[in-house]
Amino acid sequence: MCIDCGCAVPPAPEPDVVASPRGASHIDVLQDLLAANDRQAAHNREHFDAHGVFVVNLMSGPGAGKTALLEATILALRDRLRIAVIEGDLETDNDAARIRAHGVPAIQITTVTGCHLDAALVHRALHALPLEGLDLLFIENVGNLVCPAGFDLGQHRNVTLLSTTDGDDKPAKYPVIFRASDLVVLSKVDLLDVIDDFDPLRAVAAVRALGRDTPVVPTAARRTPTIGAWLAWLDQELGAHRAARSAGARPGPSAPRERRAAAGTGHAAQG
Amino acid sequence: MHELSVCGALIEQVSALAAQRGAALVRRITIEVGPLSGVDPLLLQAAFCVLRAGSCAAEADLAIDTPDVRICCIACAAVTSTAPNRLVCAQCGGMRSRVLQGDELRLRRVELVVEGLPRLDPNDAQPAPPMQFH
Repeated sequence: MCIDCGCAVPPAPEPDVVASPRGASHIDVLQDLLAANDRQAAHNREHFDAHGVFVVNLMSGPGAGKTALLEATILALRDRLRIAVIEGDLETDNDAARIRAHGVPAIQITTVTGCHLDAALVHRALHALPLEGLDLLFIENVGNLVCPAGFDLGQHRNVTLLSTTDGDDKPAKYPVIFRASDLVVLSKVDLLDVIDDFDPLRAVAAVRALGRDTPVVPTAARRTPTIGAWLAWLDQELGAHRAARSAGARPGPSAPRERRAAAGTGHAAQG
Repeated sequence: MHELSVCGALIEQVSALAAQRGAALVRRITIEVGPLSGVDPLLLQAAFCVLRAGSCAAEADLAIDTPDVRICCIACAAVTSTAPNRLVCAQCGGMRSRVLQGDELRLRRVELVVEGLPRLDPNDAQPAPPMQFH
């Protein structure tokens, strides 16, 4: 891996094809379409692991409270953990400014038209961050329940927020992103008193129907923050991650893409 | 609309393969897009119509196979076809499953336009076999 920015582009492997007769008119391949992104993400993960940083990718629809949760989390943890944030938005650096106001380094990625972060964007941002000495890096993805799900960024865990203002059937409507999550944060639960059409049990059932038994924790990040269950999960996962690293494990992508993972970058047959 | 990004990656892969084979043009591309890949086949098809211009796939067809979702129950090992948002076991009610099929997002076949005489690699001792079209 690189020491500095010389690594902007990881070496592209040869296309995954075995030799075939010269002049053959077709090539059989089994290569993931996001193989290039996945290679870049693995490279990002090497950077993070070389610096012992635990990385969490936060996803949700717009306005579900990702930045507010991060602000409350920073206030709760900044005395004992060194935290940084990569912010993804189409426009403005408002969110990075909110994070920096708490004395935490934040890099803003503005995607302009891009509806998700990808591994190359995160790679550029991570070189602008002081990774040395960091314990925890949050990547706040672009607010979107569709596009971010497929793009590995090099994170160790995926977390998706489901806000009480979103509707309790969102996991059934957007199964890909919720299935890709290691934790679902039920946000804005302090609004349940005034929202009469959100049933937390229905939300949990919709998450459970995705076949991963993903934990769901309730949070309220504003006014009187109630984020104990979220902090407990973070501590537990950070501990598990560090223990696995000490035991020599090389963390892989967090998203469960069994079939894609099994296919790897593919074994080709000749045409 | 991440289908544009996915389509860009597809065209890059196909271009690399065509260049490796010395083919200037691609006739047909076959990919697999499962419901759990998070990619919409129709949007991908639309993106392809835009992005193929100027590439070796400028005149290529894009065929998209869309496999059903199949899961294997971790508790009882039953294999069932199911909806993308219902990934629990229909046999025993088990809440944890492994996806066997349905999250594919991959390139399966590239059909090349091979024109004229096959190019000879100067390192090859044997002349190339006759061209084959499928």
